[in-house]
Amino acid sequence: MPEQYPARSSRVAWRVYDGEAVILLAEDSTLNTLNAVGTLIWEGADGKTPVSSLVGRICAEFDVEPVQAERDVTAFVDKLSQRGLLNVSASPHEQR
Amino acid sequence: MDDLGIAIARLGAAIVTRDRDVAQLVRDRYKGFVSSGTPEWRLEIDVGPVGGRRAHDDVRVSRDGVDARYVVNRGDFAGTVDLPARRATVTLADANEYSIDSFLRILYSLALVAAHGVIVHAASLVRNGRAHLFCGPSGSGKTTVARLSPDATLLSDELSIVRISEGRARCHGTPFWGELARAGDDRAARLAGIYFLHHGARHALDGVMPRQAIERLLPNVLFFARDAELMAGVLDIAADLVEAVPCFDLSFRRDAGFWEIVDRA
Repeated sequence: MPEQYPARSSRVAWRVYDGEAVILLAEDSTLNTLNAVGTLIWEGADGKTPVSSLVGRICAEFDVEPVQAERDVTAFVDKLSQRGLLNVSASPHEQR
Repeated sequence: MDDLGIAIARLGAAIVTRDRDVAQLVRDRYKGFVSSGTPEWRLEIDVGPVGGRRAHDDVRVSRDGVDARYVVNRGDFAGTVDLPARRATVTLADANEYSIDSFLRILYSLALVAAHGVIVHAASLVRNGRAHLFCGPSGSGKTTVARLSPDATLLSDELSIVRISEGRARCHGTPFWGELARAGDDRAARLAGIYFLHHGARHALDGVMPRQAIERLLPNVLFFARDAELMAGVLDIAADLVEAVPCFDLSFRRDAGFWEIVDRA
């Protein structure tokens, strides 16, 4: 599978409280909250870090098999992308 | 040209208009918030064609291409808010207090962010020198709480303003009313608690941790601009607020007994 580089949208405001991210989407003021695993992915979604690295971080931090972690991270990135919270590229880029 | 100074939550605005009806409406509607201090803001109100949009369209607030300058449109008015210049203009389709009040709510929701303040869908009351903020959407009981509290000072039954400075939150009275159709008092008090309202069979108070309190508070914050930068500011203020002030879920039935548990909290 080709590498993917998720990046947080510039249209969101976000903060991490107690290790969990709270994200506001500017378009419609939708509030999203992430658990600890989701927050780790979110914080790593800088446009330069590939999904494979995020999977590695998840496996290092949490008790999960790499295959399962890759499936979960990919699905999570896809879901946040559909919500307009993440932009996904096939190559790394600097986040504005 | 009429010029009336008002101050809401210590944020002053000179309201300037050539229209006599508008001037009279402003004098009547905001008489409890008249201020002779030097205003930070200038709001020019005109009456004329606003064009383009239908009367029942939702309000739309968007950047006009210039940093921190916003275009504010609804069916019954069209205006601009320039945050750095602290100037706003609005043209009303006709002189009526609802249009003026709606624009003023939007203006203050934008202007307060720089002053580390937010407008919250909440009733607020001062009792024994301490302010209490009761949050919730329409039908949650905000006006009921206000009606059940004749011995407390009303700050608002609908839209309250909280400003936070050096970790201390103060709740301010506003002229923005709900079903009660009565302005709050122009005063402020230290905020002792934030209560998220739920109707229940009995009075009960449960503490809410900051992370959950943010989730409950943010949907009640009045904010119109679809702008990530301003939203980040609102998020920061909300975060400071729930850290500085104890937050609770308040289940209450329609009698004044809820004050017993609120006073004990």
